[in-house]
Amino acid sequence: MRDDLITLDNVSRFYGEVLGVNRVTLSIPPGITSLVGPNGAGKTTLMNLMTGLIRPTRGRIRVLGLSPAQPHRLFGLVGYATQFDAFPRGLSGFQFIYSFLRLFGYSKAECKRLANRVIDQVGLSDAAGRKVAGYSKGMRQRIRLAQALAHDPRVLILDEPLNGLDPLVRAETINLFRRYATEGRHVLVSSHVLHEVDMISDQVVLMSGGYVVAEGQIQSVRSEIQEQPVKILVHCRQPGMLASKAFEQDHVVEAQLLTEGSGVLITTRDADRFYRLLNHLALNGIDIEGVTPADDNVNSVYDYLIGGEERVSP
Amino acid sequence: MMKLWCRQIVSVVRLEMKKTFFCKRGLWVYLLAFAPVVLYMVNSVHITRQRRHLAQIGAEHPVSQAAFNNIKTGLSRENVVAKLGEPYWQRTRYHHGSDGRKRSFVLYKYTDGKNDFMYHFEDDKLTWINRRDPEKLAESQLIFATSFQFYFLRLAVFFGCVGIFVNLFRGEMLDKSLHFYMLTPMRREVLLAGKYFAGLLATVVIFTSSTALQWWAMLWQFERPVIVEFLAGPGPTQFAAYLGVTALACVGYGSIFLAVGLIFRNPVIPAAVVLLWESANPFLPPLLKKTSMIYYLQSLCPVTAAPDKNMPPLINLLISPTEPAATLAAVTCIVLLTLLVLVLASRVARKLEINYGTD
Repeated sequence: MRDDLITLDNVSRFYGEVLGVNRVTLSIPPGITSLVGPNGAGKTTLMNLMTGLIRPTRGRIRVLGLSPAQPHRLFGLVGYATQFDAFPRGLSGFQFIYSFLRLFGYSKAECKRLANRVIDQVGLSDAAGRKVAGYSKGMRQRIRLAQALAHDPRVLILDEPLNGLDPLVRAETINLFRRYATEGRHVLVSSHVLHEVDMISDQVVLMSGGYVVAEGQIQSVRSEIQEQPVKILVHCRQPGMLASKAFEQDHVVEAQLLTEGSGVLITTRDADRFYRLLNHLALNGIDIEGVTPADDNVNSVYDYLIGGEERVSP
Repeated sequence: MMKLWCRQIVSVVRLEMKKTFFCKRGLWVYLLAFAPVVLYMVNSVHITRQRRHLAQIGAEHPVSQAAFNNIKTGLSRENVVAKLGEPYWQRTRYHHGSDGRKRSFVLYKYTDGKNDFMYHFEDDKLTWINRRDPEKLAESQLIFATSFQFYFLRLAVFFGCVGIFVNLFRGEMLDKSLHFYMLTPMRREVLLAGKYFAGLLATVVIFTSSTALQWWAMLWQFERPVIVEFLAGPGPTQFAAYLGVTALACVGYGSIFLAVGLIFRNPVIPAAVVLLWESANPFLPPLLKKTSMIYYLQSLCPVTAAPDKNMPPLINLLISPTEPAATLAAVTCIVLLTLLVLVLASRVARKLEINYGTD
């Protein structure tokens, strides 16, 4: 097993009967990896699993060869900025980072030096003496980032790190990720908007409903998604005519009439073109009563992630 | 490695200090701890003022001790006044009896400057005499021992430890800030030790200060020679014993409630169960008695608490008398029980997950 990878082998995590993530198998090389999916997709669960904040119900995780069950070894190498927006009470930004570093066992002088350096790095030098409780959302985001970066880790795991940042700070933060990645480190970033991270990512892991639905370099993820057939259920009064019209299209793979004769189940490789066809048919006299995506498919997830491209509805 | 762990423990203690000592939610712990100090102080001030008052009256209306000794029940009011002079305080009441006759009830108070004498006359005949001596040191020691064992250890230290130790983990779960510790290269056992010492530092400082102040407030009412004599005799040993018992109570109860806060989402029920177990201690058979913390703590107390005279005989029958444990055995058992609980808690801490959503 390579020691420069983050590997998840058939990892599942359930919260009672609720699924967190299921059968996730990943191998993440150094560079920037984006974990993308809508809310509830399992991104945070996956990150918490990698950092040992929660344990897998099944499967095995290794971060650079280390088990997350050994935090005393793992966190020398890993920095994790969580999404939890709560801080120890009564501490200033500097005190927060300083106290955090003291827990690593560094000397006072070293903690002071590292804290000042990282606070400067995230652009919070002016606010370092103020209480974290009085910080704006963006500043709290940055101090969390500083806490993850403070001990100069080889693996950075950042849960929605760009949330709440203004454009200038966002650009600086992205540059920081790039710099870390070019140094051969792992930068694992989660986001629910693919546009936000696809330009900076070396690889993307697309998640939905606790499953990894696609992974790889961004170009291959795009083509993988586009090649996935998608099922659409159309309720109408002339299902036979609709099925025959649909089947004339090269992107329609299958048209299945419903037994009760109230509609047709279409399987297509290009949902957008099919929706345009439905519009056309509706204008030409086919009475369409309803259209429903019939499966929780990759394409719908992808549509959501890239910002919800509007579908043409009949 | 040991050096690193010590450094990490000290860092955790420093971080926890504010929460354990100065948390607004913990103000009631101070109230619980220092309420007896206030009561002892009020009592001492009252007794000192009363003593001064009696001495002043005694000086103004001197009555010999022999004269007091000559007063017996059955004497008339005129006789008493003839022997002792006019009282410094009196009260007269009249009642109509069932036969319609008007009866008088008179209360006279005299003092020899130290003791208070009350004479009660019915229809001008002395019916009873009540002599109130000033509180003796032995009495005060007994009162202190009783309040220490039945209020201070069983309630104040107990609930103080619940308030401070349970919050070390559970409070941070509720604040959603526990994960910061989990993001550091620190063994969970070290984190547990750090939090335990933080709680211990707070409880020991708060409750031993309270014990010391209670002790001082209790002695404050006595005259200097009495205090000097006591301090030259058993005083310092008793004082040290009370401080030691207080600290050991924090050690023992602290470990239990740290574990409770770590294991249970709602610590109220397990805390109530522990309280019930500790309260039921007098009624438990001797072997079971030895499984409760209070048995060992009471064994270490230098003065045995006064038995409750008003206890119904049936309940009195249920109390099983047990020999107190030897000092060394009691300390060893408390320390061993603490270590056992901490070892179990550290096993739980190793598997601790950050799951704020469900907490």
